[in-house]
Amino acid sequence: MKAIEFEKVRFSYKTNDSEENNEPFSTEGVFALNGIDFSVEEGEFVAVLGHNGSGKSTLARLINGLLTPSEGKITVFGLDVSDSKQLFNIRKNVGIVFQNPDNQTVASIVEDDVAFGPENIGVPRVEIGERIDFALKAVGMEEYRNGTTSRLSGGQKQRVAIAGVLALKPRIMILDESTAMLDPRGRKEVLDVVLKLKKEENITVLLITHFPEEAMLADRAIVMNRGEIVMQGKPSDILCREEELETYNLTLPKPVKICRDLRRGGFSVKDCLTPEALAREIAEAFSVREITSGETARVEEDGAYSDSSMALGQGGVYCKNLRYVYNPSSPFATHALNGVDIQIRAGEFFGVIGHTGSGKSTFVQHLNALLKTPTAEKKYKPKKLKKGQTPPPPITLTVNGYDLTDKKTDFRELRSKVGMVFQYPEYQLFAETVFADVAFGLNNFSVEPLSEAQIEEAVKEAIETVGLDYNEVKNRSPFELSGGQKRRVAIAGVIVTKPEILVLDEPAAGLDPLGKEEIMRLLHKIHKDWCKTVIIVSHDMDEISENCTRAAVFSEGKVVLNARPQDLFEQYDELSALGLDAPFTAKTVSLLKEKGYFIRSDFTSGDLVDKVLAFASGENRKGGQTNE
Amino acid sequence: MNDVSFGQYYPASSFIHKCDPRTKILFLIAFIVAVFISDTFYALGACAFLFVLVAAFSKVPVKSLLKSVKAILFLLAFTAFLNLFFYSGKTVLASWWIFTITKEGLIYAAFLAVRLFLLVLASTLLTLTTSPVSLTDGIESLLYPLKLIRFPVHELALIMSIALRFIPILTDETSRIMNAQKARGADFETGGLIKRVKAVLPVLIPLIISAVRRADELGDAMDARCYSGGKRTKYKKLTFAWRDLIAFLLVALLVTGVILLKVYLPAVV
Repeated sequence: MKAIEFEKVRFSYKTNDSEENNEPFSTEGVFALNGIDFSVEEGEFVAVLGHNGSGKSTLARLINGLLTPSEGKITVFGLDVSDSKQLFNIRKNVGIVFQNPDNQTVASIVEDDVAFGPENIGVPRVEIGERIDFALKAVGMEEYRNGTTSRLSGGQKQRVAIAGVLALKPRIMILDESTAMLDPRGRKEVLDVVLKLKKEENITVLLITHFPEEAMLADRAIVMNRGEIVMQGKPSDILCREEELETYNLTLPKPVKICRDLRRGGFSVKDCLTPEALAREIAEAFSVREITSGETARVEEDGAYSDSSMALGQGGVYCKNLRYVYNPSSPFATHALNGVDIQIRAGEFFGVIGHTGSGKSTFVQHLNALLKTPTAEKKYKPKKLKKGQTPPPPITLTVNGYDLTDKKTDFRELRSKVGMVFQYPEYQLFAETVFADVAFGLNNFSVEPLSEAQIEEAVKEAIETVGLDYNEVKNRSPFELSGGQKRRVAIAGVIVTKPEILVLDEPAAGLDPLGKEEIMRLLHKIHKDWCKTVIIVSHDMDEISENCTRAAVFSEGKVVLNARPQDLFEQYDELSALGLDAPFTAKTVSLLKEKGYFIRSDFTSGDLVDKVLAFASGENRKGGQTNE
Repeated sequence: MNDVSFGQYYPASSFIHKCDPRTKILFLIAFIVAVFISDTFYALGACAFLFVLVAAFSKVPVKSLLKSVKAILFLLAFTAFLNLFFYSGKTVLASWWIFTITKEGLIYAAFLAVRLFLLVLASTLLTLTTSPVSLTDGIESLLYPLKLIRFPVHELALIMSIALRFIPILTDETSRIMNAQKARGADFETGGLIKRVKAVLPVLIPLIISAVRRADELGDAMDARCYSGGKRTKYKKLTFAWRDLIAFLLVALLVTGVILLKVYLPAVV
């Protein structure tokens, strides 16, 4: 029996019940799903790809009866989902894990939440206990059984959500972008659990995702576009079809792009999706050219970083001995920063890396005085030292030339010069029109009221800079825009005051690969035309290596590494010791090194391609000149 | 990991913490009744003694208990003050202008102050020793008989527990949005009333939108996990233990004692 079967399914969010509205569904775009024929075998692992709005989530909701098809038939293990008598049988069999870890937990205590499903279907008390044991064990969360859900990390929350679904003993598990809001560590936790469940419990998995590397784990992948299934096949096969992917607003995975560029340079490699495969292909291509080993010239040394003038002036950050304690002198006191030393020079595109809880967010909030050093507080009084106690080293924090340890500093002015874009900034939009929302900061910061013409000019410039059509969006409500557009409006609302430094916390979080690329392009444009310095906090090492001129690694409230990407990601072991990943390019280079090829690159994919090609042609080997 | 530490809950492992929440709620009600029918020094003394005994066994620091009294100190002083000066008694102790202090007034004011004191302290002790989650469970269980008159007890309990669960999330969200608007120059600290109310809007609107979005998603997640609001089983069942028996005996003793004292001793107020 097929686990899931779709027969000519169409679905529209607009109900056509009313008599007057009797026109046939001719207009394109009315259907969220338009003629889907597809089936999944029991025990199969299927990945569903597609850009935002392609109908992926609709598909998921139809399978467990959260939505019913407008036309056609869907069966789950032979049960018709449109049959309302079977609804609970179907929902028992089909578990869905949603995107936001916070919005699918019902209870405050982990075990109570896992019990919710079995309670709903009337499982006897003793058996509920057994099911909780089983479910929490399956996701590796048994030690958190009596824990509080709100205290868990994102990955742990999603594992609890999976356990909550597992407790219903489903035969199909749908993950609707369940990893999109997680950091790499959480993503791995969740995927490991899913793979284990598939293997040990023979659960059929439908994984809706944006990440090509996740789709790679599946037996089969389907690509959706405008409510239709447009591609189907082996993931490794599908992900290499460049033109097709482009038509459906998807991007080629980065490794495949590198392979393409290498081939364009006359280097014959097959398309690869993993660093291991790429390193093997490159090494083979080298050996065909009778290069067995070699070394490229050292790249130039990092410029003198002891000179702090660039960090002390406009656009720079100079920070020494920064400490911060949350809830001081209470039992809940947590030391978030334990002496941060860092310099960020004007003009950098700076990356801040570190795990959740490493102190990076606390540090970043100091940059525009959302958190203040003790001496900058209005009520600051020097602490009396006990005899024999040495005073802690003084904190220095200069941002954009403002001394942030001085309470006389004009913090308002500072905030207009140091823009801050928080994670998921679209959730801060509030005004009736895009124009009013973007103008909000401008009006707040101006000392004297600005004329309407001045406001309009500034708002227009900001909206156009983020790539939106001013006349089209200015009078629209920000809430009717698409996700990516909202984020752009939120960024416009920050850059409208023309800050010298722009700080962004996870600017690309939750976007699909194309959206990510667009946002990063936008940031480079802003860096070039508007702000001297751009600082991004990111979990994505590839994002850091491709975009940043320099990056700092935070761990346990300190900066442990601060270097250019080319130097940073060479310290592969140190990064893994901190539990951090390396970008794809760095992994490939490290694997090539094991094979005897020492290629030095700044780890952007473009540079890697250049260096490999140069290495192959002999230009760059054994102390030759780098061709930059 | 076993902490639901918001509100007042003081996590500890004590005799009182381990008692069934229903016992504690019923105990509190009986205790309040006892306090208010006490009309002799002995009776009130017995109440106070029992409270001190329970508080001592709760392992809750005196400081956090007294914190709650701080909030109502003014009210306490004010009522005591009124009673002291305006209670019409016979034995005049002192008199000035329209104020007269009588012995009866003095006693009455003292009684009232002690009663209010005990009332607040005892209620605080309940919230300090019972996590919001088990408090909800207790209330649901105690309201169970209301089901007979079709009162939606289960729904009410679910609403309460979901509200509790979203408090920390929405608190976080509020501070995040406030920070974001502060970074855009919003000022929440200065200005008159109208300005401040206006300043709240950029926080309130995104917060409401987010709450609605969350509610919508939670609804889907609950549906997907077979929630129908109809017949369901319950995993956690509250059970009375020997501790609860002791608690009931103690409070029964107190109430009987207070009633006996009321019958056999002349009231002082």
